[in-house]
Amino acid sequence: MAAENKMVSIYIMGKQYEVPYGVTIMKAMEYAGYRFIRGCGCRGGFCGACGTVYRKPDSFRLKVGLACATMVEDGMHLTQIPFYPANRASYKLEELSPSLGTLLQHYPEVTRCLGCNQCTRICPQELSVMDYIAAAQRGDIEKTAHQSFDCIMCGLCASRCPAEIVQYNVGILARRLYGRHIAPRAAHLAERVGEIKAGKFNDELSRLMQMSKEELQRRYEARDIEQ
Amino acid sequence: MTSEEMTRKVKELSGQNPYLCMQCGLCSASCTGIGVMDLLPRQVMRFLQLGKEEILKNRSIWMCTTCLICTARCPRGIDIARVMEALRTINLRKGNDILAPEDVPAELLAEIPQMALTSGFRKLSA
Amino acid sequence: MGIPYFPGCTLHVKAKGLDDSTRATLAALGLELTELPEWTCCGTAFPLAQDNYMGMVASARILAKAAKEGDGRLVTVCSFCYNVLKRVNFALKNNDEARTKLNAYLEENYNGELRVLHPLELLRDDLGFDSLKTRVDRKLKGMKVACYYGCMLSRPAKEMEFGEPENPALMEEFVKAVGAEPVDFPYKTKCCGSYQVLNNYDLVAGRVKDILKAARVRDSEVIITSCPLCQFNLDWLQDRFADEDKSFSKIPVLYFTQLLGIALEISVAKLGLDNHYVDPKPLLQAG
Repeated sequence: MAAENKMVSIYIMGKQYEVPYGVTIMKAMEYAGYRFIRGCGCRGGFCGACGTVYRKPDSFRLKVGLACATMVEDGMHLTQIPFYPANRASYKLEELSPSLGTLLQHYPEVTRCLGCNQCTRICPQELSVMDYIAAAQRGDIEKTAHQSFDCIMCGLCASRCPAEIVQYNVGILARRLYGRHIAPRAAHLAERVGEIKAGKFNDELSRLMQMSKEELQRRYEARDIEQ
Repeated sequence: MTSEEMTRKVKELSGQNPYLCMQCGLCSASCTGIGVMDLLPRQVMRFLQLGKEEILKNRSIWMCTTCLICTARCPRGIDIARVMEALRTINLRKGNDILAPEDVPAELLAEIPQMALTSGFRKLSA
Repeated sequence: MGIPYFPGCTLHVKAKGLDDSTRATLAALGLELTELPEWTCCGTAFPLAQDNYMGMVASARILAKAAKEGDGRLVTVCSFCYNVLKRVNFALKNNDEARTKLNAYLEENYNGELRVLHPLELLRDDLGFDSLKTRVDRKLKGMKVACYYGCMLSRPAKEMEFGEPENPALMEEFVKAVGAEPVDFPYKTKCCGSYQVLNNYDLVAGRVKDILKAARVRDSEVIITSCPLCQFNLDWLQDRFADEDKSFSKIPVLYFTQLLGIALEISVAKLGLDNHYVDPKPLLQAG
């Protein structure tokens, strides 16, 4: 019982609050009276909306995490950086060529990278951000796409970059170029889409739509699951 | 920035003593960027000796390609390229630069080896 | 396991011919290169302000990682990469403040133990030019070659140790070894204008015209270099010069490794000769 009632002191934007031990930063902030209109999304560590920078009292190092997935600790200083007003190029993907020139035309600032590695250190997804920017700088779109694949676009990398590079937007351009222009086409997918368009599954779909909830539930539970 | 501050800062950033310069002009005669400079490297050195702060606003310091030909030839052993870089650095650290990514034409960006951007931004962009 | 090799960003796409021809020719001569597993841009330009250690971090990290390969050497061919890696390595070895500050920043300690080598040095020291002579075909006999070092290979002389700052001779020795004839070329270490191509066309065009003219005066049939930016500046502008002046005659600009590849009769497809503005293919018929 005592452990459950334990409180810790945290500092949100410099102001001290007493909040329950063992809750996430996001819950602690709500406990302290903050109400999220922005900077909060899935609450499950996937959407990247609640990037937060914090520091523990015994170190000068800045750390980061998602507010919904990081536990508060006693003496923690924190602020959310849910959005960063960083450069975002607009383009029509189908008109672009998957080339170094395209990357440089949209984000010439990638060549300003100093190699300081702060982006990699701060990434809450533990991506090798500096390495995928290095790959972008040399025009290796495939590598940039693969190495940035788990990016959740929280923007913390851009907040730390002394060269004002927007790593996450470079990453998504590379993934789009890769997906649209480089990755091999999946023949079976095109075939299946063709079948759907041709109405091959219409009868089956309409049967499902007329089923009772109980019957749907029964079928759902009895379905084959890929292991 | 007063002229004393400028001289002190240039000495500190470049590690060079501008008063060693004897105004022989070999640097100017050798310089890569000479055709597009308003003040020649020798004159830059002279302005520095005289403590004229307008040298910080001068176009010539941005025309340098850091090819080190002046440094290799200076009979007084001054690393003139470092002096030029010091004058650029004072500007860059205040946010004064002459090259922004958006200034480079798109068609050139498509053609150019990216090392030109990397080195250009390092020398000419804040 | 070959010698650790840092290709550099530009060699991945824009100067792929330099990368391909370097790997293919050195491998053919028994000098296998192995690309570093993970690398970033070297920073290209060595910072000249005394307190600018930030400008050295990228190179320092590349060197520290390369040292872990355990070979004691790092080979790089692009003149910019070679210049900045060698100078940062020199700083790490000889400048206490640089070493302390950079090591506080890196993920591992490194004190400048590596030898940063250019393929020309490998050819001279590990293979030997006499040995190279016996390996090449007579294809290049009589070809007049202008060796263009640019500003990056030989300066500053004390740190680069690449010969005389304004009159290095290594590339000429190489040209002789592959059976061609180096011309006397006073412009060999004059700068091409470098990154000023970004926003200073007049500066670069003026320098390039002078350099090309100096090569032409001595009847050079080809200019060779190891710098992708020199190659670009010297090559790219020639179409425009030819439009402006009908009497202008173009001269191909090759990487020295491409010339080596031709001498070794390596298949043209492996040498990246298709990506030049001035077509170098007629040279192949010369021999």
